[in-house]
Order: sequence, then C-alpha cells, then structure tokens
Amino acid sequence: MGNKSTNGIQKLSKKRSIKLLKSIGSEESLKILERMYTIRAFEEKAEQLYSLGKTHGTMHLSIGQEATSLGACKAVRSGYDYLLNHHRGHGHCLAWGAELNLMMAEFMGKETGYCRGRGGSMHIADVERNNLGANGIVAGGIPMSVGVGLSIQMRATDQVCLVIFGDGAANTGPFHEALNMASIWNLPVIFLCENNQYAMSMAVKRAFNIDFISQRSSSYGIPGVTVDGNDFLAVYDVVSKAAKRARQGKGPTLVESLTYRWLGHSKSDRQLYRTREEVKEWRARDPIVRFANRLIRAAFLAEEDLETIKSRVDQSIQDALAFAESSPEPDVGTIMEGVYAD
Amino acid sequence: MLTETQTEREDAQTIRELTYAEALREALQQAMQADETVFLLGEDIGVYGGAFGVTAGLVDEFGPERVRDTPISEAAIAGACAGAALTGMHPVGEIQFMDFVTLSMEQLALQAAKVRFMFGGKASVPMVLRMPAGSGTGAAAQHSESLENLLVHIPGLKVVMPSNAYDAKGLLLSSIYDGNPVMFVEHKLLYKTKSHVPEDMYQIPLSQANVVRVGRDLTVVATSIMVSRAEEAAKQLSGEGIELEIIDPRTLNPLDDTAIINSVIKTGRAIVIHEAVTTGGYGGEVVARIVGSRAFDYLEAPVRRLAGLDIPIPYNRELERHAVPQVENIIQEARNLVRGAY
Amino acid sequence: MAVEVIMPRFGMTQEEGTIVNWLLEDGDYVERGDPLCEVTTDKVNMEVEAPGDGILAGIRYTAGDTVPVTEVIAYILAEGESLPEEASKRISAPSDSRVIVPPPEFPGDGKRIKATPVARRMATIEGLQLTDIPGSGKDGTITRQDLEAFLSREGKEVWLQPAGGDVRATPAARRLAREGNIDLGQIKGSGPGGRIQGWDVQDAVQQLANQGELPSRSAQVETERVAGIPPQGSPPVVLKLEGIRRTIAERMQASWQTIPHITFSVDIDMGRAISMRENINARFSDELSPVSMTAVMVKACAAALRQHPRLNSYFRADEILLMPEVNIGMAVALEEGLIVPVVHQADLKPLIQIAQEISDLSQRARRGELNPQDVVDGTFTLSNLGMFAVDHFTAIINPPQVAILATGRIAKRFIPDEAGNPVLRSMMTVTLSVDHRAVDGAEAARFLSTLKDILETAGDQWG
Repeated sequence: MGNKSTNGIQKLSKKRSIKLLKSIGSEESLKILERMYTIRAFEEKAEQLYSLGKTHGTMHLSIGQEATSLGACKAVRSGYDYLLNHHRGHGHCLAWGAELNLMMAEFMGKETGYCRGRGGSMHIADVERNNLGANGIVAGGIPMSVGVGLSIQMRATDQVCLVIFGDGAANTGPFHEALNMASIWNLPVIFLCENNQYAMSMAVKRAFNIDFISQRSSSYGIPGVTVDGNDFLAVYDVVSKAAKRARQGKGPTLVESLTYRWLGHSKSDRQLYRTREEVKEWRARDPIVRFANRLIRAAFLAEEDLETIKSRVDQSIQDALAFAESSPEPDVGTIMEGVYAD
Repeated sequence: MLTETQTEREDAQTIRELTYAEALREALQQAMQADETVFLLGEDIGVYGGAFGVTAGLVDEFGPERVRDTPISEAAIAGACAGAALTGMHPVGEIQFMDFVTLSMEQLALQAAKVRFMFGGKASVPMVLRMPAGSGTGAAAQHSESLENLLVHIPGLKVVMPSNAYDAKGLLLSSIYDGNPVMFVEHKLLYKTKSHVPEDMYQIPLSQANVVRVGRDLTVVATSIMVSRAEEAAKQLSGEGIELEIIDPRTLNPLDDTAIINSVIKTGRAIVIHEAVTTGGYGGEVVARIVGSRAFDYLEAPVRRLAGLDIPIPYNRELERHAVPQVENIIQEARNLVRGAY
Repeated sequence: MAVEVIMPRFGMTQEEGTIVNWLLEDGDYVERGDPLCEVTTDKVNMEVEAPGDGILAGIRYTAGDTVPVTEVIAYILAEGESLPEEASKRISAPSDSRVIVPPPEFPGDGKRIKATPVARRMATIEGLQLTDIPGSGKDGTITRQDLEAFLSREGKEVWLQPAGGDVRATPAARRLAREGNIDLGQIKGSGPGGRIQGWDVQDAVQQLANQGELPSRSAQVETERVAGIPPQGSPPVVLKLEGIRRTIAERMQASWQTIPHITFSVDIDMGRAISMRENINARFSDELSPVSMTAVMVKACAAALRQHPRLNSYFRADEILLMPEVNIGMAVALEEGLIVPVVHQADLKPLIQIAQEISDLSQRARRGELNPQDVVDGTFTLSNLGMFAVDHFTAIINPPQVAILATGRIAKRFIPDEAGNPVLRSMMTVTLSVDHRAVDGAEAARFLSTLKDILETAGDQWG
C-alpha cells in the first residue's frame, strides 16, 4: 500500500489467502466461524423478538455483513486497542468479543445489560474492553476517534483505534474534519468504511460522484484501499496492514469494505429502493458460507461439524435469551444515576 | 454549603493581582505542570497565543503537542476532546468565539454529554471546553453571542461562568478535575479586569454559589459580566438607602440555588440579570426556581429578569450598548422593584 | 407442527395493522420469505412474509380487517397436517371502542339558564349574555371553566379568581395574614394599584394591637421584617448601661471592630446524632442526668478542633498561639447578660462526663454560683439559640480566641435525596465566625467539613 489511493478493488491472491489462513490456524479459525454464526443467529433472534413486540424502539440488523465485522475486529487486538462503531453495531460488538448474555440483556433494556438498560441497541458499549460504543448519530464516532488517536499518541502506547462507519457517514462534515486532523498529526486510527451500498434508501451510486469511497483518502494524503467485504480474509489482511502502519507511527488509513445489507435499514423499511433480485444476488455470496467453505478446503473443518457448531450457537442464543428475560428491569428509583460523574 | 463574603477577597487584594486572562493562563499552566494528561486543543492557541491571548507563552513551555493548534474544525475539536477524555486524558479545548460552539453541538450534545448515561455510568468524559462569549467589542452578530442556556439545557454537561479573575482560576482548576464535560464560558470584556489571585492551585467547587454582597432590600442573581455591573450599581444605590444582595451562581448547571432561595426569603424581592437574550434565557430558570420554592411565601413583588433584548447584537456602538443591560439599567430596575413600581 | 403467521410489528409505535389484500389463498404452497399478504400501518404498506415452507391454511382475517400486532392471522402446515383447534374459529375484526364525547348543550329557548354563581358573576362583569355561552356541566349548566374557555376564545384576558378572595396581595402579605389570622379584605394596600404588601399587614396588626383589638390566635406576625416603624404613643423605657451589661457592650464592640470576622455556614443532618443521643439516654437514664444536644456539640467540636488546631488558638499582637488544650466555652444567657462557662479538655473526656459537667455548670450559672476557674482558659466558644426557633445567626468572637460557632435550631426540612425525591431530615444550620488574621477561609471550611462529618456519622462509640 503506497501513499496514494487505489482505484478498484484490491484482490487477495490465493497464495496469500492460504498463508493468512495458516497463520491464523485452525483453532482460531473455527472460533471465528462460530462467532460469525453467532452474529447471524443473534440478529435473526433480534428480528424475531422485534416482530413479537418483545423489544422496544428500533434496531439496525447487520445480517450479511459478518465478514467485515470479524475481519476487522480480529485484525486488531480487541480489548487492548479501541473500537468505535455505528448504529448497525451488534455484529461489531460481538466480533469484539462481547458476552451474549449481557448484549441480549441490554437489547431488552434490562439492568444486567452492558449499559444497565440505558443505551439499548444503538448505544451498546463495553467500555472495560475498550469498545467505546455503537453510536446513534451517523459519523458520531469519527471525531471522537481523533481524540482516541491523540490520547494513544500522547500516552505513547502501541494501541490503535478502529473506527467503523457506513457509506452515508463519508459524506458528512465531521468525516472530513476528522480525517484531515488525523492525517496532519499521523494519528494511529483505522477509518473503516463499511459500504453496504445504501445509506437507508440512498444508493451509493446516487450519493457519490466517485466510484470508490477509498478514493477520498488522496484528499488527505493517506493510503486508501477497497476490498471485498464479504471475504473475511481480504478484510483481515487489509486491516492488519493498516494496524501495522498505525503502530509504526505512519498514521491513518482509509479502508472501504464492500458488502451488502440483507434486510432493510431498520424495521420500518419497505425497501422500495432496491429489487428482490439484487437482494437475492448478494445473498448468494453469503460471507459465512464462503468462509466455511474455505475452512473445509483447508481441512480445518468437516461439513458434518457445521451442524454441531450451529446447534451450539443456537443453544447459546437460547441461554442468552433466558438470561435476559429473567433479568430485572432497572429500578425507577435509580433513574437519575449516570448523568454526572461524582 | 459555604459562602465566601466580599471581605475575604478585599482583604487579600493587596497581595497579588492578575488579570482574568492571566489567571486562566496560570490555571492551565499549573494544571499542565502537575499532570501530564492535561493538554490544550484549539485554533490559534500556539504561537499566536489564542485569539484573546489566554494561552500566550504556553506553547513555549509545553511544546506544540500539548498546546495543539487545530485546523478550523469545531466538530472535530469537540469530538477529539471527548474521545481523548474517554481514554484517559484531560483535554482543555478552546472554541474561539462562543458563537462557533454551534458547529460543535452534535459532538457536545449527543456524544460528550450522553456517553456516560447511555453506557450505564461506566464511562466518563473529563473534558473542558473554554469559550469567550459576550458583546461590547463591536464584533457584531456572529461574534458576540451568549449561548450558555443552550448548553444548560443538556443534561450531562456542566456550565460554568466565572465573573472575575479570582473565580476564573479556581473554577478552571475545578473544572479540569471535575470528571465531567464542563462548558467554561468566559467573557471577552472581562479578560483585562483584575483581582487578587493567589499563587497556589486553589479550587473553587463547582455548583457553589457566591454571595458577592450582602444586603437587605433586593436579591440580585447575576452572571458573568453582570456581577461587576451589579456591584457598581449597588454602590450607587447604597447612597439612596437601597442595599442590594448580589449572588453569583458561578456554575449555572448544576445550580446551587439554596443561597438564592434563602436570600429571597430574607429580602422578599428578586431580579435575575444576564447578558444573553431574555426569551429562553437563563433568567427563566432562576425565576422558576425562586417562585417554585418556599421563597414564594416571602415575595413582596414580582420576580423579574433584566437581560438582553431579543435581537442579534448590532454593529453600531450605541445600539450594541443598548442591546444588553448596563449599570444604569440595573440601577433603574432595582429602584423600580424596591420602590414598588411593579 | 403448524407454524403461526402473525401480524408483525414494523414500527416503534405500531399497535395494529390492517390487511389490504391476500396475495395467496388457503391451500397454496409457499416458501420461506414469500410474501403472503399486504398490510398497511401508519400510511405505509408492508408485506408479511412466510416464516417457513409449507401450505398456507387457516386464514383468519380478510382484507379490511384491522389486527393487533402479534395476533395470529394464518398458519403454515406441513403435508398432511391439520389446523390446530383455535384456528377453526373465524374472528371478526375488533370493534371500534372509542367513546364519543357528547357536544355541549346550549341552554336557551325560554328555559331558565343554569349557571354556577361564579359563572354568573363572571358573565356580568364581562358583560356577556349567558345565552351565548355553551355549558358543559350537568344538564348543560354553565360553569366557570366554560366562561374561561369562551373568554380565551374571544381573545380576552381570562379573569382568574385570586386565591384569597377579591383582593390583590403579595405572597408575603397572604402568609402574614394567614399566620396572624387577619382578614385581607379589611386591609388597605400601599403597593402598586392598591396591592396589599407584607408591611401593610404588619401595620394593621400593630394598629389593632394598639387599640387592644387583636383577634384571638394572632400576634404571631413577625415584626422584624418591617424597616423602622416606631411604636406610637408612650416614651421609651430606659435601661442604663452598667455592670455586666456595660462590660459585655464594650467587649462586643471591641471584638467586632478589631477582629476581621468572616463567617461560614453549613447545614448538618443531625439525624444520627439525635438517635445516638437518644440511645445513650435510654441506656443510662436512671443513673445520670440526660445527655443534652449541647454536650454532643461540645464533643463534636472538640474532636474537630483536634484536627484543625488553628481554630483552637489565641491571637496576640504579632503571634498566633496554638493552644495545647481544647477548652470549649458555652454561651449561657442570663437575665443580666451573657456568661460563658468552660468545659476543659473536652477532647479527652467521654460524652457522658461532658454531659454531667455541662449540666452542673448550667445549674450553677443560673444560681450565680460559678467559680473563677469555671470561666477561664476557654479556647473556642459555642453559642446556641436553637431553643428560640432561630434558624441561623452570626456570633461575635471572644478574643483572644479566633473562632466561635453559632448553632440554630434543629428543624425538619425537606431535602432532595439522590433521585431528587424530597425526604424529611432533621437539619441544623451552624455558622462559624473566624478571625481572618489567624484563620483563612480554606481552613475554616475544612473545620466545618470535619465537624459535619463527625456529626453525620455519629455512632454509639461516642458513649
């Protein structure tokens, strides 16, 4: 990756993908695959709960985007490095290693949830493990990532900050301010744009006059690269390289991950802006199936094992649901807590 | 609840005098000397020394990384402060004119103010954002705003307005260590005013009002530059047999209203004086607290406010003067109230 | 097992959906995800998708039906499966159960118009015809609310009946009238527009007192709020300044003029101190005189002074002497003036012993039997006016001491707890005066903070 932006999608060579897979190893790869299934199952369960009227508010599901979440979060050191992500954040949170029980409880607004029921779907955070939160404001986390980068630099640690945002965020003012600031100070930030082709109903083709969002990196003199976001290894490769750059003090990178959102933007999305055929086409490129096939080809996994993994995942979701449903609601008497630090 | 009386400050005035700007600078300098995590962020604060000279010389002592010039990016400045505060630092940002805080509003109102609450009290944002407010310099409508009540209206933010050099230093040091996002609103016309400022790192607690002057006829609650104007008015009125009691809240939110309520119980009359526009201004908040408290049963006259006209600040010098309360307006209003015009 | 097709929830506030039309029929084969019917919610049309593969059966609602969310609308059956029992009942759409508010009746047509007395009065004052006003009360009675609604629709200022009758009076005046059992209607107001002010009520009380006509149960009206109303009639009574009174006057003046006093107040929650005292008195009631609140205060101050020796000092011309013993004087009010007996080494004595000493000193003071050693060597003074319903006051320092603590009464006040709910606490305001030449603000504040802590965490270990 030089210091100029690339046009076109950076392809991952077969040779390199085999090398990467080998370096990750079979044990870790299976964990990653299981996490992908977990994300998928969690999102499907979330949708079901919503339709049954058991959850409150709205949700933004990331079914179909699992490879980007895992590829990025596994390429940095979750729990040591920092994460800021966006409203479609269940996947990122889980990929960062969040506990299912606490996520489900938060999702259902219970006291035992990550945010004591005060945050909900759009604001889930696991502050102890440096997950600084999903964010209800498009591009809301991007200026804060500059502050995190500054903090890392001034404390002189080798941490990096991974900030994930969508295609819509790339057109906001704060995106520009933040990338510029990160570039002038060489901050250790990885700006990951999860381009799922639509900002709610606004197609990327209509909202941008350029072909690839990563081209914008040249405005800030930083490297930019676009990858196939449904290929776990491709995302993992690119984000690892960006993290290494950051740790070496060489500054930020803009990574664009091309993926697709299987369901509507949120639950009230009629999806008039895209065709069923388009959705079907992308579903055929299921990132989980792709990665599972890879692992089978690499002999890390046999096809029969998939059922075992899936049923284990389903059980963990059931357990999480049971935990959440039996958890207490927050006590109204504590409603004023948490506004100010004492 | 403690109240300092005027005599304390007057007694010590012969010892050492600093201007409001120098007092602020000393607070910043001493905080940065004592604590490596304190750093400054803002436009033209380095070699230029800040638009009003507050940070002059600090870059020589602490270097350009801890006294960091930024591009014109108010959203990123506010967001960077929030992100750095979230991850172990104590940033003190500067917004060059309070008017421009409007460009930072999303990051302040939706991120810095809310992160702690949304994350169930598990995170904190110990940042300060300093900003000069107020009119009287002929800078006209877009550089003369007093917008503190917009910030008061956001739970999670604290709003502080020092009225003199002594308070400025003590309040700034408290703000830096308060553990919450503090909006520190200075006044342009106060920067050159002087008072006694001790050399040590004293702190004036936030949410503690100051009884600036004791009197029996009328309770005056005044903020920022209106405190000294009220003191001036009080001297003249004393000759007419009218004794004002002047209370400076110092922290607008969370407000320490005990002193105010007790004072109104004593005097039976109250007026709130501030520079910001009357409608929707801070005066409404204070008046509501007074009439909603047990002080109601001791009122001898309507509780009033004296504040800016509901107009943008005009350029013409005389019009600019007329737009906000001056000493003669305060004298007239006080006379009216005490002599039973209302 | 039959799979239920439910009316799903699409939006945050959606409670029900209305079926627009069915795209398939009973008996059609469907795959998971196939659209089954169109529904409309809040002006938006959405599709309900099949939750599984199978045969669509048991459709329970038709086009036009409004169904609550999560209600079952159809089933998907496997080959050869039959419908569950509940499905066989076809349900009609839930009825619209909104209550219709009857329109207001217009009384008229020769019938006597029904209106409340207040409404009639308002109409008369405003010059309105009752026939023009719709009544919403029983049988079309016109009420005050109807008048107000009519007037506000007309854009007129609504005539609101003041709480105390037809009078205009300030809140302070109303309170004083209430407390003094005075009829506001009898008082002439000197405020703007004839408004009755607090001093008008006080004047009236004074007048009645002079005429010997104070109504029963009054005379609790505060007089100190009024600035300088001289009593009328008789000459003043003369008290010559001599003896102890003269000494006190001279010392007070000297103290006030030479010592730069600064004062600090703090509110203390006395709940624990009160219960601690009650416990001790319950335990030892038979053997000894009861422990008074004064004793508790003396003990607490002594402990606080140990931690803040600066306030336990003497100020001489050019030196400050930090005194080795903590000797606390208590101001006692006698007929002829103030006397201050001292509890010596109060920090070293247990509470019960202090209580006995105080009891003894007070009794002897009232009988005029104090010895010289009872009143010397005090290093700090405590002055209490709580028994006179005083909330807080400032006391004058007793030189060469550098501090004095004035305590007010303990009263139940509502204070907000952490959630902002008002809770009743026994609060006491203490006011500390210190000599600013010897003690600076921060040190005084720290002493008060320590004292507050000591009292608020009082426990049985004090005994």
